[in-house]
Amino acid sequence: MASAVYDRVAALLVDRFGVPVDDINPEASFEDLDLDSLDLVEFSLACEEELGVRIEDEEAENLATLGDAVTLLESKGATVQNS
Amino acid sequence: MPLLDGKRLLVTGVLTDASIAYAVARVAQAEGAEIVLTGFGRGMSITKRIAARLPSAPDVLELDVQQPDHLDAVAADLRERWGGVDGVVHAIGFAPATALGGGFLTAPWEDVATALHISTYSFAALGRTLAPLLASAGGGSIVGLDFDATVAWPSYDWMGVAKAGLESCCRYLARDLGDQGTRVNLVAAGPLRTMAAKSIAGFSEFDAAWKRRAPLGWDITDPEPVARVVCALLSDWMPSVTGEIVHADGGVHAIGADLR
Repeated sequence: MASAVYDRVAALLVDRFGVPVDDINPEASFEDLDLDSLDLVEFSLACEEELGVRIEDEEAENLATLGDAVTLLESKGATVQNS
Repeated sequence: MPLLDGKRLLVTGVLTDASIAYAVARVAQAEGAEIVLTGFGRGMSITKRIAARLPSAPDVLELDVQQPDHLDAVAADLRERWGGVDGVVHAIGFAPATALGGGFLTAPWEDVATALHISTYSFAALGRTLAPLLASAGGGSIVGLDFDATVAWPSYDWMGVAKAGLESCCRYLARDLGDQGTRVNLVAAGPLRTMAAKSIAGFSEFDAAWKRRAPLGWDITDPEPVARVVCALLSDWMPSVTGEIVHADGGVHAIGADLR
């Protein structure tokens, strides 16, 4: 799963949430990544700030994997600004 | 003149923008208040992000109500900052998972004690600690968030017992701070879909009950009706109201059987 959104989300998980780089893959669940409900709230706020779209609570409940989260963000129009 | 013109308010309990306390902070700012928030532990970074989304980003102080030195530090900060405090919003509650969602008969004392410390005792502790600052402001107003504790609810378990204690704390704090002119009241809210609600396994049963019983109807996604009542109690417009529980619940507390 190579995309600008995926790369940004992966970087965010490593930099902000201390997830080991080697643990990150599209099939990883948030549980695999050791993210609990508070982390997920912060993750969705960070996504909103960095990617311009929000993961709603109801949507978060249906996300099984990191790949699902990226697909959802992209379907909602997430874009990565080139800096 | 706006309802809370120039009021200096401490608002605890903002975690996400779905928090009841977030709606209180937003309405209070719109009504002219100056506010400071508190956050807690790992939630601090979330509270700071959310604070930045308010019309005017307030400072966030760290307050773990189980740490007496945190309470003292908040009081010292507010004394330095303002000299007095016109209002305090207590929107703090927690029960370990063992004490909720069917754990009434099995929760160990340590977990129940945690629930009572954070959800019940902290109301008195916060009021006691900030009492001199409220007195400096001429009395001020303390408002806590309640969920009707006169009856037993599905899933609510020890949190319900903690809320019953909170209701009693409100009356005793009103008794002891009355001489200095401080009003102490609770708002018993209907169910709202907040982070706190997510930890209650049977939350959907509350939602269903409110659909059937609220004369005025009830929207579990809109904390503003509750926030407005909190702001009314913080204002100068309920001057001889203390030790009171105002139900902002669509009227459910008054109804004995399903309406629809």
